Parts: sequence; structure tokens; C-alpha cells
Amino acid sequence: MTDQNKRIKDYFCKHTTRCTIEGVKKSKRFVGHDVLKADAWDKVTGEAVYPDDIFFDDLLYVKIKRAVHPHAILKDIDISQAKKVNGVVDIVIAEDIPDVRQFGLIIRDQPVLIAPGEKMRYMGDPLAIVVAETKEAAKKARDLIKVKVEELEVITDPFRAMEDDAPDIHPDGNIVITHHLNRGDVDEAFKNSAIVEENRYQTQFIDQLPMQNEAGVALYDERRGVVNIWAATQWLHDTQADVAQSLRLSKDQIRIIQPTIGGAFGKKEDVSVHIHLAIAAMRTGRPVKLCFTREESMITQSKRHPITIINKTGVDRDGYLTAWETKFIGDTGAYASSGPAVVHKGMYHATGPYNCPNLRGVSHAVYTNNTYAGAMRGFGTAQGAFAYEQQMDILAEKLSIDPAEFRLKNIYQKDSITPNGQQLTHSVNAEETIKRVMELSDWKGGRK
Amino acid sequence: MIRKSPMKQENRQMISGADFEQYFQPQSLEKALEIKAEYEDQIEVAAGTTDLLVANYEKLHQIKNWLDLDKLSELRQIEVKDNNLYIGAMATHLQLMKSDLIKEKFPVLAAAAEDVGSPQIRSRGTIGGNICTSSPAGDLLAPLLSYQASFKLQSAEAERIVEAEEFFTGPKRNLMEADELLTEIIIPLTENKREGAWVKVGRRKALVISTLTLSVVLEFEAEQIVKAGVAMGSVAPTPIRLGEVEEMMLGNTLAELDYKKLGQEVKARINPIDDLRGTKEYREDVAADVMVRALNEIERKRG
Amino acid sequence: MQITFTVNGEERELEVTPYTRLLDLLREDLGLTGVKEGCGKGECGACTVIMNGELTASCLVPAPQADQAEILTVEGLGTRDDLHPIQESFVEAGAVQCGYCIPGMILAGKRLLDENPEPTEKEVRYGLSGNICRCTGYAKIIDAVMLAADKLAVEGSDSSD
Repeated sequence: MTDQNKRIKDYFCKHTTRCTIEGVKKSKRFVGHDVLKADAWDKVTGEAVYPDDIFFDDLLYVKIKRAVHPHAILKDIDISQAKKVNGVVDIVIAEDIPDVRQFGLIIRDQPVLIAPGEKMRYMGDPLAIVVAETKEAAKKARDLIKVKVEELEVITDPFRAMEDDAPDIHPDGNIVITHHLNRGDVDEAFKNSAIVEENRYQTQFIDQLPMQNEAGVALYDERRGVVNIWAATQWLHDTQADVAQSLRLSKDQIRIIQPTIGGAFGKKEDVSVHIHLAIAAMRTGRPVKLCFTREESMITQSKRHPITIINKTGVDRDGYLTAWETKFIGDTGAYASSGPAVVHKGMYHATGPYNCPNLRGVSHAVYTNNTYAGAMRGFGTAQGAFAYEQQMDILAEKLSIDPAEFRLKNIYQKDSITPNGQQLTHSVNAEETIKRVMELSDWKGGRK
Repeated sequence: MIRKSPMKQENRQMISGADFEQYFQPQSLEKALEIKAEYEDQIEVAAGTTDLLVANYEKLHQIKNWLDLDKLSELRQIEVKDNNLYIGAMATHLQLMKSDLIKEKFPVLAAAAEDVGSPQIRSRGTIGGNICTSSPAGDLLAPLLSYQASFKLQSAEAERIVEAEEFFTGPKRNLMEADELLTEIIIPLTENKREGAWVKVGRRKALVISTLTLSVVLEFEAEQIVKAGVAMGSVAPTPIRLGEVEEMMLGNTLAELDYKKLGQEVKARINPIDDLRGTKEYREDVAADVMVRALNEIERKRG
Repeated sequence: MQITFTVNGEERELEVTPYTRLLDLLREDLGLTGVKEGCGKGECGACTVIMNGELTASCLVPAPQADQAEILTVEGLGTRDDLHPIQESFVEAGAVQCGYCIPGMILAGKRLLDENPEPTEKEVRYGLSGNICRCTGYAKIIDAVMLAADKLAVEGSDSSD
């Protein structure tokens, strides 16, 4: 074992087992105490090892040739010129890995490499894996790969995707999943409401933008048949399982080793570098490294869903919510990722922390040719919050009452029931929160 | 199954120094001009490289020839000679914002330099680079126009002085010839009392390409405005000087000026586009507002 | 081509190509991986080093321009057992989360305090304006630099006794 390898091994042993706290008096209880972060010392000295910081002697560099069009059939891929670049060790295209299966967090709809005859569905789709002695050689070879495509209609709007004559991005159609929500008698309640307010809200793509881009190193231990992958992930064992099934290996043949992670915020839930690294490591028998550029990370990996939210909200003369009808159309981009969960979770929170007895909702996660959307802090609820808080402000204005008072009237209390039927039995302090905000901000009723 | 790569054992020669041709780091301007004359536009000129390395990110290995001016300390001088200020093209933004001479005589230029990028960019980026990149959003350009600066362009054979106002011909285009280097920026001093204001509008305070910049410099004899320099960035294909607006101010005192009307005059004379940083409409409205703000600031400074 | 420069007090002589950035040189040739790449375009500050006394984005410096330079990276500031007061302050103020921006933040803080030992919060914000953090929301990072200023002031008065 080289020194470098030993250093890495020591590092991970230390970090996966350490649970004591240095620098402060040990305490049996952490809750309610100021606790210094155990890894802060490594991070302020530059010792912490992030995926990109791992080097091996004999390391090869990987670059990915990506889609040339957001929606097109790959007709032909020519790697003959690229192979001639000095320093290129391997170029992998779909025909080299015929048995490899698709992957994905919830629905396995993402191809490892696009084969001729198959479709690229967004600009991040991988066409070839280039492995070379240097980064420059890998880049040079990647840029020499020639591709012929047949262009298809590019769908960037989920409403277009849902039309009957829109081309199917995936074989089963463009609506990934639909969820419904029903409680009480919404139509009757609207009829009896003093005011009914209907509005349409639109949120946009947001990149989670962790400081570190997706990066990783892999090493194939041929003697034991184990691929070691040092790369960031948020769901270690799910990533392991997904990589294993994709490569038709058993789970114990894939070791995912989590180095220090340079931020994630949901973006690193999806498989990014892992499968390509494993393939490159197995084919070359040498350690391999793949680091995304910021641009590549932006184009390739998940985003916060843009969601179109249509809210129709009824309220009685006393300022109590009577009925709420909502529609969530989430643009999940080219692949499902966490989309099916994110969009319906957003819908279940459509009324926010406010009691409403009658509810009706529908949500669609829809495929488009945009970069796929997945998990990001809040998981769909941030989009919903924008829409329901606007509804509350608009209704308060129509009712001519203080928007804070209006919220207090409708706020969740202990034993309130959420739209999906959960009874809140403890830790319900929304009312306290609003009152505290009013106090701290010296609230004067929201009037100018 | 994943099969072993058939290519594995061959073709292991690395990219080496032979893949690029030349990296020149001349020790004298004379030598630099000789190299530029030989390679003309087949060579990348490297000053502070804060634009060059961004434009060539992931493609640096494709640059064949480099002309690195880093060792030309003669181009980093800031000095006064014969009633002119001379700034070497390799002077950094940090140098400009720290120079007592510039802070005292050309505060608008110092303020603009302080608003460029971030500390990390200002310590490396140069005034010459800002000028030669010729982005309509270059932060130093509007102040240079309003101070009526001129640029010294040198080739191995000759040299010429070009007015800043004439220099910029389009977005990232200027009238430099392929064998020329920008070596010096010349700004006239004045006996008159001069007052100015600098406004940069952007989405953040730091590390932001300007949505719009405005530089106003007025020269007074007693209370009367005898010379005016009003220039803007990011509102047209090049940084522009608003001569007609300047004319309207000449001969007046500040008290006689209708700030609001001048703001509208500015708005009427710019030609911005919609882009990521702002819409045409937004830029036009803001241009009118910041003109008023700049004049208020000048009035306040004059007390 | 050959360059000579001083890194963390040690003189180094290295063979470089023009397409090597100072960032690559420090990370790959010298193993100073405390210098991070976040964007490669001078926008994020993760690759910050102090070069000839000034904050510099090492991703925007072609290696040949580092010839004769004096460079400080976070590794040259203090070690685990002997932290620099700024590093100590970052630990104590809880300013470190994912940690990827931290080496750059610490160097920006150091550069600021070298020039201005008693900064206001506004001056700290300006001093750190070239460094992006996505975890903390900056509040604790600013606390850490203010805390470091206090520590250094006490240290300074001790040594003058």
C-alpha cells in the first residue's frame, strides 16, 4: 500500500468511527449544548479529503462526451479520430457495455450511455466515456468524437408535454405520475364561501449549487472483484444498490466510500460520476478520476423543480378558510429522479400550515427536455409556500383584515389534521412562531 | 459484463510540452513588441489573465502561443508628467484603488476600480486588460471616457495615441491592430476644481458584471460648469460618452440644472439590450434615476 | 518551462506547462489540496491563495506567472495541533459546515486582518466579498473573523509586554 493509499484509509477509518468531540469537555448529552463540529479541525487546516483530493499513482482521467441536442435520435457515433489522441487509454461507447442497465432514484429511466438508435433527452445525456493519461488528452479526445443525430421536437414546457400531439419523451408518455387529494365537499364549500380567490403561480429552476461539483475516484480490485468508488452521495446504500444493479454486479462488489462532501442540498442524491467511474476502472484496471466542471454540473445534475401551481381558495366572512383546490404541474425534466415524490409532496403541503376542511388536489410530474429536476431542500414545499402565502396575503387584503391575524385564525394547532390526514399530536408551535415574529418585527398590522 | 478495454496497454504517451508551441515571457517592452509583430493575432496576450483564463476555461491546452506581459514592470507605473497622468497598462485594479494620486485627482476611476469583481480579481486584473477586452460592461471604461483619457498603442515600428472615445468599436472590439500592444493610459490633469460621481448597478455587490455603470465628472470655474464628462457602460454596444447631455450642462451652475430632466435626456440617448442582467426597459429607467443620484452626489460633495 | 517560487515558506522549483493553472500546480504537483476548485472562473473564491501578499484566485493564474512569487495556502497557516488564531476562531464560532469554502475564507480573513486588525462588520463583509459559501449564510463566518480579530489583538498585546 502506498503512503497515499494509507493516508486515505486512515482518514476514512477515523472519520467513519469517530464520535468523540475534541476541544470541549465531554458531555453525555449533546442536545442543548454547544458542540464543536468534529471535522472542523480537518477543514480549517485543509486536511479534509474531498473526492477531488484523492490521487493515486497511475491515475487516469475521465471525461464524458455529452448530448449535442436536447431531444434527438443518435444516428452514429465516430470515435476513430478521438482514439488517436496521444494519451487516450480507452473510449467506451454503448456497444462496449451491452448488458449495462438503466438507473434512477425512483424510476430507472436513465441510460448509462446512449446507443445509436436511442434518444438523447437532454443536454446532459452521456454518449461516451473517455479515459486518458491526462485531463488535456481526455478533453481533446472528447472534443474529437463525431456524432450524427436526427433532431426531434424539443419540449421545454410541461404543458406542451401533456398535449396529445406532443412526442413521447419516454415510451410510457410524458406524465410520469399523477397524484390526487380529496377531502370533504369542495364544490359545496366554495358555493358557501364569502370570497373565492383563484391564482396561478410559477416557480423557476434553481440549482442547489453546492460548492463542490460532483467528483470521484474509482479503483477496481480485480482479485476480489470489488469496485471501490470514492464519491459523494447522499444515500450511500441506495447509490450502491443502483450502481450494482446497473452493472449487473452484486451489492458486495460495489463499495461506495463517502469522502468529505463539499455540500449537496439534494443535488447529490442522484447517481452522477459513479457508474461511469466503475466502468472506466473495470475496463482499464487502473485508478480513474472524474470531476465535473461547474458547467457540466449545471447541465447534467438535478435542479429544484419549476412548478406551476393553480390555487383556488375560499374563505368565509369571519376569515376562516373553507375550501382549497390546487393543481401542481412539476417540470421534472428529462428523467424522473425524485420528481414523482417532490411534486406530490408539494401538493400535500398546498395549504401550508393552515387549517382547511375541504380539499381537492391533483399533481403531475411531467417529462420535458430540460435538465432533470430532483431533490432540493424543502422537497417541493418551498414552491408551494410561495403560492399559499401569496393566497393568504391576497385573501387578507380582500377581507380587509391584518394578514398576520388572518394567519393566526387559520394556523395549525395541536390535533389539526394535515391534507394527507396526519393528526398533529405534538410540537405544534406555528402560532407561537407567528406571534414571536409579530413581536420582534414590531408588527403594525401590515398597513403602510 | 464489463469487458477489459482492448486499448489498455498501448498509446500511453502523455500530452507534453510539445503540444503547445511557444510561451513568451519577455523582460522588455521592446522584445514584447517584436514578438507581437511576428505572431500578430496568432498569439494570446496574457496580462492579469482574469478574462483570458475564463474565456479559455477547459481549453487552455489549445492555446498555441502565449505572450505574457507579467515581467514588464515598466508597464505597472502610475506617474504624473507634464500635466498628464500616465498609467501603465499592466497596473492592477488594486493599484488604482490604492494609489493616493488617483484617489485624489481621479476619484471616480479609483471608485470604479474598487467595484471591479472581488479582491481576488482586483489584485490581478489590469487596466490594460479591462480596456483591451473592450466589454461594454468593463467597469473602468466609463470613467476613462468621462476623464477624456487617451491610450498609447505601440507596435515595433510605431506608436500612436488614440482617444478613449474613438477606441471602442463594438462589443469586445476595438481599433487595435494585430501588431500593437496597449502600453499606457494618459489622462489630462486640470487646474480647475473637479467633482465626480460613480454608480455601478448590478445584481450583487461583488463579483458581478455590471447591469449598468455611470460616470459623471464635472469641472468648475467658481460655480460654473466649464467641462463635463458623462459616460455609461452596459447601455450600448460599447461604453459611450453622452456629449449632448454634457453640452446641456456647460455654462450652468449646479443650481441651474434640472436633474430630473437631465436624467430623461440620458435615458433618451442610450441604446441598451435585454439580457441576463436586465431588460432594456429596466436599464433605461435606472439610467435616468442614477443620473439624478450622481448629480445629487456631486452637489453634496461640493457642499 | 521551469519556474521557481516560494510556497508556505519553502522554495520550490518545478517544471510547468502554460496550461497548468497555479491551482493545478498546488493541488496536483505539490499535494496542497486545501486549495479547492469550485468554479474555475474566479467567481467563488474556493481556490483563494495569498500571492505576493494579495488575495488571488489560483484558478486564474497560469503557472508561469507564479514564477518568483511568494504563495501562502491554508496549509501554511497552521497545523491541527498548532492552529492559527483565525483557524481556531472558525472552529469555535461554528463557521465550518461542508468546509469547501473554508480555506479560501480563512485566507481572505487573514489578508483582511493583516491590513485592518480591527475591522467593522461591514469591512469584514467587503474583505470576504470574493468568497462564496452555500451552507452557512455567512453569519458565523463573519463572527469567526471578528473573533479572530479579538484573539489577535489580545495576542498582540501579550507579546508586547
